[in-house]
Amino acid sequence: MTTPTLKIENLTLGFKTWSGTAKVLHGISLHIKKGERVALVGESGSGKSVTARIVLGMLQQLKSARITGSVEFEGVNLETLKPASRHALRGTRMSMIFQDPTSSLNPVYPIFTQFKEVLERAQPGITNEKARERAISALADVAINEPDRVLDSYAFQLSGGMNQRVMIAMALANNPALLLADEPGTALDVTVQAQTLKLMSALVEKHHTSVLFISHNLGVVREFADRVYVIYKGNIVEQGPTGQLFDDPKHPYTRALLSAVPRITGGGIPDLDDDPSGFTAPLATHDGYSERELLA
Amino acid sequence: MIVLIGVSLLIFAIARVIPGDPARIALGPNATAEAVAVLRDKLHLNDSFLEQYGYFVVDLLRGDLGLSLYTNRPVMADIAQFLPATLELVIVSGLMMVAIGLPLGILSARHRGSWIDHTVRLVTLLGVSAPAFVWAVVLMLAFSYFIQIFPIAGRISDSCTVQTVTGFLLIDTLIAGNFKALGNAVWHIILPAFALALSGIGQAARLVRSNMVETYDKPFIEMAQAYGFPERRIARRYAFRPSLIPSLTIIGLDFAAMLGSAFLVEAVYAWPGLSRYGVAVILRKDLNAIVGTVLVISAMFLIVNLIVDLLVSIINPRIRLSQRAS
Repeated sequence: MTTPTLKIENLTLGFKTWSGTAKVLHGISLHIKKGERVALVGESGSGKSVTARIVLGMLQQLKSARITGSVEFEGVNLETLKPASRHALRGTRMSMIFQDPTSSLNPVYPIFTQFKEVLERAQPGITNEKARERAISALADVAINEPDRVLDSYAFQLSGGMNQRVMIAMALANNPALLLADEPGTALDVTVQAQTLKLMSALVEKHHTSVLFISHNLGVVREFADRVYVIYKGNIVEQGPTGQLFDDPKHPYTRALLSAVPRITGGGIPDLDDDPSGFTAPLATHDGYSERELLA
Repeated sequence: MIVLIGVSLLIFAIARVIPGDPARIALGPNATAEAVAVLRDKLHLNDSFLEQYGYFVVDLLRGDLGLSLYTNRPVMADIAQFLPATLELVIVSGLMMVAIGLPLGILSARHRGSWIDHTVRLVTLLGVSAPAFVWAVVLMLAFSYFIQIFPIAGRISDSCTVQTVTGFLLIDTLIAGNFKALGNAVWHIILPAFALALSGIGQAARLVRSNMVETYDKPFIEMAQAYGFPERRIARRYAFRPSLIPSLTIIGLDFAAMLGSAFLVEAVYAWPGLSRYGVAVILRKDLNAIVGTVLVISAMFLIVNLIVDLLVSIINPRIRLSQRAS
């Protein structure tokens, strides 16, 4: 049994407010093995994105955040690391792709400046020529035809799909062990989204990158992920292999989520008075896919 | 250009609406009625407004702003003598504003919510809330009277003789290679320039802070943090530069507004500048001198704004590239 790339155990998160602590995560556990693509699916506000940010260590610096549980990255408990060595992982061993690629790129610097900054994370003091070379080959990998022109452009001069591919190239440039994809391309239109995801999928397969894929888009998840965790109000409610989970959802919330996908034949959006009482039912696991069995 | 024509018309009209007869004021209460009438005729004061403006424009195109009734010299010569002192003061203040205000703003935004931020905000609020002349008096009392480390007034000590080349003492002393005089001039300018700059420093720091705090919430900053770019680098490059764009316009306006508030500071520090001259001539209803002074100051205003616009387009690629495309 090899150590999983990412192992989250019993993670809780609360935000301290004037009127007590608001609980956001109620002890979630998940793991990703090397080269595995795992999806975390849930509605807005269910705690998907904060999970990714805790992994990167970005929420810990908020004074109001209260976090318990453990996050292990390649067998190392991140909480035991010094802040500096934890910071050193960002952009090198783990990287992230964001929802809206165009606004995730700085508007006053050309793409190359930011690309070089990313490359510098792994290779401090990289020369301009070398960085450019690396950036061009990374952009070629994401099917960008005129890498030179793109590198000298600003984000607002490129299309959303272009920027998304630039982001993917940046995210994979340092060959990270873990890629956190937070609703990648939700801000893009569907066809472009499908194209870029296909690209990303091929690249992570090639580099054996583990992926935590965060999404509310079930269609995309079905295409992309090997395994799925369904999260509802800060609890994992169902987990299993993608095919089984979609064909035979066990948890009431997963069923409701799946039936909420609009269909061309009509229907799909459930009535509001659909009984949500079952949604808080305990974790439903598919045979052989519980945390204990998978990590044994 | 159009702005300048408008300003000249307006100030020309206003100057003539101020009550009192310029000729009478110039000649004094004991002058005879004939003498006043002769001077009125000489100044074209009996002609219609448009004719007066016509004379003025023709003279202006020849580079002649007329005689000052107050100093009895060409207005151009007066302005040439007083303008450099004011410009020197305002430019030094402007540099202080940028050199102190912007770093304070960055510091405050980077440590937002901490005691550093609160201290900076409190101090800059003080700077903004009291007008320049109050600071001029307070600073003068504190650092020239109680703790005598700065001179009370003036541009330079009488013991230093400097040959006038540009009228800017800091530059003239440098040209002459007279470093003792340069030091003396710097020593004289620090306090008035700082008093003048204080509200600008406060405003610049607060503006940069609030714009930067807003920028810190943008996705591209989160991206920079997620990729582990060094915090300091994020502050100085990724958050500061986008925030500078909206701040810069205001800072430019502030800079130009210093030309106006320079008057009171000049008065407090007996600084022989244009603002002091401007007020003196208004009180004496010296028409030519008023119009000339206002024209020069509004020209300065326009030049500063032009420079700011150019700077903004250098920093903001969106403006730069859209101009190239059109």
